[in-house]
Amino acid sequence: MTAVWYYVFTLVFFLFDYFILAMGLNIQYGETGILNFAYFAFVAVGAYVTGAVSLPNSVGTGQHYIFGWGIPFPFNLLMGGIATSLLAVVLAFITLRRLRTDYLAMVLISSSLILYDICNNFVPLFNGADGLYNVPPPFASVLKLTTNSFIPFFAAVTGVIALIMWFVMSRITRSPLGRTFRAIRDDDTVAAALGKNVFRGQLKSMIIGSFYAGIGGGLIIQFSGSLNPTAWLPGETFVVFAVIIVGGVGNNVGLLVGSLLVETLLVHLTAFLPAIPGHPGLIEYIDAMLIGVFLMVMLWFRPQGVWPERPRLSATMVRLLGKRGPSVDEARVEADVSDAALNDGSRG
Amino acid sequence: MQLFWLSFGFGLVTASVLAISAVGLSLQFGITNYINFAYGDFMALGAYITYVLNNEVLHWNIWVALVCGSLAVGVIAVILSQLILSPFARRFDKTFYVLIVTFGLSLILLNVMYSIWGASVRFYNVPINRALHIGPMLLTAYQLIVMVIAVVLMIGVAVLLKTTRLGKSMRAMSDNTTLAMTSGINTKMITTITWFISGSLAGLAGSVLGLTEGNLTPAAGELFLFVIFAAVIVGGVGSIYGAMAGAVLIGLATEVSAAFINPAYKLDIAFLILILTLLFRPSGLFARSGKG
Repeated sequence: MTAVWYYVFTLVFFLFDYFILAMGLNIQYGETGILNFAYFAFVAVGAYVTGAVSLPNSVGTGQHYIFGWGIPFPFNLLMGGIATSLLAVVLAFITLRRLRTDYLAMVLISSSLILYDICNNFVPLFNGADGLYNVPPPFASVLKLTTNSFIPFFAAVTGVIALIMWFVMSRITRSPLGRTFRAIRDDDTVAAALGKNVFRGQLKSMIIGSFYAGIGGGLIIQFSGSLNPTAWLPGETFVVFAVIIVGGVGNNVGLLVGSLLVETLLVHLTAFLPAIPGHPGLIEYIDAMLIGVFLMVMLWFRPQGVWPERPRLSATMVRLLGKRGPSVDEARVEADVSDAALNDGSRG
Repeated sequence: MQLFWLSFGFGLVTASVLAISAVGLSLQFGITNYINFAYGDFMALGAYITYVLNNEVLHWNIWVALVCGSLAVGVIAVILSQLILSPFARRFDKTFYVLIVTFGLSLILLNVMYSIWGASVRFYNVPINRALHIGPMLLTAYQLIVMVIAVVLMIGVAVLLKTTRLGKSMRAMSDNTTLAMTSGINTKMITTITWFISGSLAGLAGSVLGLTEGNLTPAAGELFLFVIFAAVIVGGVGSIYGAMAGAVLIGLATEVSAAFINPAYKLDIAFLILILTLLFRPSGLFARSGKG
């Protein structure tokens, strides 16, 4: 297999993986309105737990980590997802009940830095700053896969997992629970007045989203075989936000488009450009700047994303109304703009 | 006991840097009603502008460079707020959008700094001076001067807010913008001035952070931002005096604890205090109505 195909399948893997990650953040941010700036910390915890449960006992491996149970794929992945969901419950009970948007975002970003600090310094947990490595690739010994054939194989496995998770997510967003999430996002006071328990809704949304984060993170460590703490500083969370906002907030198909545009084309394709002589890393820095600029331009000119959210109507409603209404996001953005015009100058 | 007093001295230094930065963040939050997640990068930018004036071409005295670096970040903050943040804040009613924009701005600024100065650690061109014994504490002359600067600035901000027309307008806007506007306050002008003050304080805090720590990196501001958040939330978001009190509390707690536990975990103490505050007094020590 040539090097080109190796790269192509790496891109395919990241396309599907970020689709999963974007679905997880979308249910928190896009559907429920929780500005989770700590999202990549959840991804990292999922990856670490997946790696640590699938590695053999740490004695004699030269690494230090907890667990070390040698659990095979895909059960290790599930354990990663469950671990992140538990983390979400803990964080939600501390923060969600008390804080509004800004404070919540501040506390969440702080907790991601603390998790980073602990993983980086407390070696017995996940091998400190060196991170985990030599995580056994799934099925490699059973199917006698080489390094070359493992990459397309695992990209396909990720694709199947992404498909399953997309199916589940589309069921969730169409269920009464999904409608509750969107009601909380649009106006939590109104949702509470209609008898919805806002905290419980947000808690459920955090748990579901974090589970997706854990699975996506677990796939990353299974794909690359290693992970260290520098891979999950706040900039990584921003990439997932960019995927959602470019693709279309609150829309599962749009997320795949966003993942293709942002993660595959902007983030990973540039990794294959030759380095500028004398300036190591300059391309990555410019790339990160471009993602920021791209997101702002997108947010200004097309805040509903490439593939906007549609109002979800039941079959009876569609028959009664005979058509589908305007895109929810267009309506919402227009409402936001007109509200803001009324108190123009009040916020600067 | 001697160890305690030594770390207490360092705690006062950290508290000074924290107080300057926390007041800058709180002032801007009070007026514009959204948190600036790029604030840490404003700090790092100030540190690097000071570095350029001090080291590379001009070889200015560190204190002159520091003042110019701070004012430069003030100007940059005004430009960025006028070009990017204010239009977004005016256009979208939900705070979401503008918070994500400040988050993106932070990513852009960080990578601009990495592109220009690289990831390697830099040092200010200052003569190494011996530590002085101040009672039981051991501090360098720079650390003492930074503490004096912080105290003077805090008194200055308090006087500004209490006595001047500008400060009264700022407090009025912070309480109720619409009411302030109908009372004839030029809210746009006040917002611009606030961004300038907030940016200058960020630049100053970043520079003195580099000076007291002895080195600077582009990511230093972002890591410090979290400590500022802890100080601001513990003090009560939007309250200037709360920010000052929170800064002293968090600064002392992190440094004094470093004498007794592994110093690698001293930031976790700040986080612990933050969590305890959220659990038992969620609005902070000096709560302000209308900002919760």
